[in-house]
Amino acid sequence: MSSILEILARLAVWLLLAPLLPGIINKVKAWVAGRRGPPVLQLYYDLARLWQKGVVLSTLVSPGFIAGPAVAWVAVLAAATLLPLGPLGASLSFRGDVILLIYLLGLARFCTAWAAMETGSAFEGMGAAREVSYAVLAEAAVITAVLTLSMQSGSLLLSSMLVPSAGTGAVLLAFGLFTVLLAENCRVPFDDPNTHLELTMIHEAMVLDHSGPPLAAVLHGASMKLLLFSVLLVQAVVPVGKLSGLTAAGALVAGVLVVTVAVGFVESLLARYAFRRVPLLLTTAFLLCVFALLVAWKGGVA
Amino acid sequence: MTMDWVMLVTIVVLVSAALSGARFPRMWLGLTLAGTATWLTAALWTLGSGTEWDWRSEFALGGERLHLRLDAISAWFLSLVAVVGGAGAVYSREYWSDRERPDSAGRGRVWWTTLLLCMGLVLICSNGLHFLVAWEAFALSAFFLITLERERRETRAAGWLYLAASHAGTLGLFALFSLLAARTGSWDLGPMRDHPELAPLFWVALFGFGVKAGMFPLHIWLPSAHANAPSHVSAIMSGVAIKMGVYGLIRFSGWLPLPAGAGWAVLALGAASAVLGAAFTLAQNDLKRLLAYCSVENIGVILIGLGVGLLGTANGDAVWGRVAMAGALLHIWNHGLFKSLLFFGAGSVLHATNTREMSRMGGLWRAMPWTAGLFAFGSAAVSALPPFNGFVSEWLVYLGLFDAAADRAPGAVVIVLATIALGVTGALALAAFVKASAVVFLGAPRTQAAAHAHESGWWMRGPMLGLAAACAVIALVPVVIWPFNQAPLGAWNSAWSGGKPPAPLATLGAVQVALAILIVLAAVGLWLRARANGTRRALTWDCGYAAPTARMQYTGGSFAAMPVTWFAWVLRPQRRLRWPRGPFPSRADYLERIPETVLERVIGPGSNAVMAASAWVRQRQQGHLPDYILYLVAGLVAMGLLVFFGSMQ
Repeated sequence: MSSILEILARLAVWLLLAPLLPGIINKVKAWVAGRRGPPVLQLYYDLARLWQKGVVLSTLVSPGFIAGPAVAWVAVLAAATLLPLGPLGASLSFRGDVILLIYLLGLARFCTAWAAMETGSAFEGMGAAREVSYAVLAEAAVITAVLTLSMQSGSLLLSSMLVPSAGTGAVLLAFGLFTVLLAENCRVPFDDPNTHLELTMIHEAMVLDHSGPPLAAVLHGASMKLLLFSVLLVQAVVPVGKLSGLTAAGALVAGVLVVTVAVGFVESLLARYAFRRVPLLLTTAFLLCVFALLVAWKGGVA
Repeated sequence: MTMDWVMLVTIVVLVSAALSGARFPRMWLGLTLAGTATWLTAALWTLGSGTEWDWRSEFALGGERLHLRLDAISAWFLSLVAVVGGAGAVYSREYWSDRERPDSAGRGRVWWTTLLLCMGLVLICSNGLHFLVAWEAFALSAFFLITLERERRETRAAGWLYLAASHAGTLGLFALFSLLAARTGSWDLGPMRDHPELAPLFWVALFGFGVKAGMFPLHIWLPSAHANAPSHVSAIMSGVAIKMGVYGLIRFSGWLPLPAGAGWAVLALGAASAVLGAAFTLAQNDLKRLLAYCSVENIGVILIGLGVGLLGTANGDAVWGRVAMAGALLHIWNHGLFKSLLFFGAGSVLHATNTREMSRMGGLWRAMPWTAGLFAFGSAAVSALPPFNGFVSEWLVYLGLFDAAADRAPGAVVIVLATIALGVTGALALAAFVKASAVVFLGAPRTQAAAHAHESGWWMRGPMLGLAAACAVIALVPVVIWPFNQAPLGAWNSAWSGGKPPAPLATLGAVQVALAILIVLAAVGLWLRARANGTRRALTWDCGYAAPTARMQYTGGSFAAMPVTWFAWVLRPQRRLRWPRGPFPSRADYLERIPETVLERVIGPGSNAVMAASAWVRQRQQGHLPDYILYLVAGLVAMGLLVFFGSMQ
């Protein structure tokens, strides 16, 4: 019984805290630009309003158009429940859970791209094509990062993989994973979440035709994915699992805040990259992870 | 004793099915289904009970006594032959019916059952000579099935290419079996680990069976053969026939003494097949060619598992080898099931639209919702997404790879590279199958043919539903499959028989079930919410463009454009672009073709050189007597010089 309550509590934390992150990023951006900016809770208001709204469907779409965002949302949420939270561990933990996590994100990608292709719009096709193409490079970086963690901990259990600190390779891994975070969550310099035309390039272009509750699912799923990547990044670099109680919670929250603010700063200070340079940047992220892997490998021998 | 009778009766039933095929379609279907059902039962019984059937004849056939054996490895493959063979027989009743194909339907039925029978014999023959005969008959019946539609030129070309490639592989097998017979003194096959001098024969087996398995770069015959064959034939070719090559590899890697680099070589070939196969998959614009290349990719995944298994065997039977090998075996079933499902789906699409060009389709879900749904199911399964079955087997392979890397097994570099390759493969396959299912089934119909498509009947839908159900069983209750999976593993490497599963498969199964339920709940919930709030239909927004047309949609070519440029070094896309010119442009067009690089860039020029050399030699052959006298004298002189200088040394 208590375990069910615990799972529910965790789910509530993930569901309720996730929309905070885009708000913080927007606040940072506004602060750097000298504006006041939208309230931090703006996404909550948006979600509440969208949930009440009606839905406009394209004449071309099949039922998969609504199922897509729903499945993607479930997939991200399931991936989030696999992620351990510091010394608390994960609500469900088994050997190989990390692979399930990566492939759940793949499921979310499949469904989002599927729903985008439903509309027959060239913009959305463009967004979907870019999303799945960049994911090829991002996947290589993520797998390498996971290999690094599993090699240095000798385990395939997320909760024990994330316990030891990444050691010397931590900096490399941090930069690699941060770049992947930016790419996977479609932030600047890969994508610009603020515009709404094909300039947006990836994620926002894919959801142009969504409205009402399905759009709410898309937006909420995206914010959960951002939180998931931030938590993963923080725990991969900082040995949160070794700390106890409040310190760990503080470290985790502080880490996530640092990541979020960093995303905001990157977004304020960088322009979106030219299209051709994006693969280059992702390859750099991959190489950073490869070097982290080499460090972990040699570190284990010595 | 019972098994003797079961196998005898099955063979008699299947032979009579083949004989009745031309004239009596109902009887053929009944007999084929009865035969495959018995085979499936026998195979599952062998897998479940762990008993091995071994039978030797008193009489000799071709100078050798028959030796048949059904052990767990054979049974693992035999069950796949039975399932896809039965499903395809039902499917072909509507897909390749007497009404639509009066001249080839009967022939197709005869060869179908012959193919099943020959594949079964390949799996149970335990005498090198009979194995070769069965192998050749299997290759030939597959050739006749591929060329059922022989009035089409491409079909004939594909058939010939298949036949040539297949015989190149068979040549390797001839070498393998005759060398084995010469060294061991008997054609009888069995474990030969105590003959270390036989180890180099592994490479011969790798070539011979590799051609049939379609591993890169020996896959040259596969795309055109699978694309041009009738779809139920493509299904069994892709799902089962190429697995006969994998069967040979697994069988002989379990029997032969292994040379030092065997594991590395299989692992590297597997990784290359997986990544390049996936890149080629993504680049295709012909629906069935796309599925064919995807088989190269999946064979790569299987070989990665087999390679890690071989490495594990070489490293003191390490547990990670066992896990990866279990994944490879399970992937053989999985790929057989979902690839047949996808080819059946492609067949329904082809049946409805009369084209394989994806850029001529679109919006088919409206006319064919069943096919669209089942194809989507297969796409998600082949992309190894949870909660589908492809994920279970790839997860096991990943577990083996990660553990081997963490173990820092000798030469972990290759293992690390293979792991990254597998990750990249997964992402590429996902992109390829979003492309395939979306361009074919979603959006607006691009042509009239696509707009007037029709759903296929129950004879075609039924087998697809059956295969999807089998996929769902493996996906949701993998624990049930596990004991069956362990039997061939133990037969392959006796150190790995029995014991508890070394992977938390029960937990994964529970997670998959929970995930499946949640997905359905969320989709229904969101749909109900949307309906409660009110839905309205309108034109696709398209950033305000008022009159979008079907031709403005993203096509398969544009969808894959970016990865194609990344892999241009191997894909070598051929493009022809005519720009619109002047104020009133008359015409502009863009043509893109993805050649089969190995065939057109390596094998083609190579055989042209051979042809040129032969033509040159032929010119020396004019029928003039003085010329021949000159050749004779030159030959004699050369021989004399050889002997003279030879004796000097």
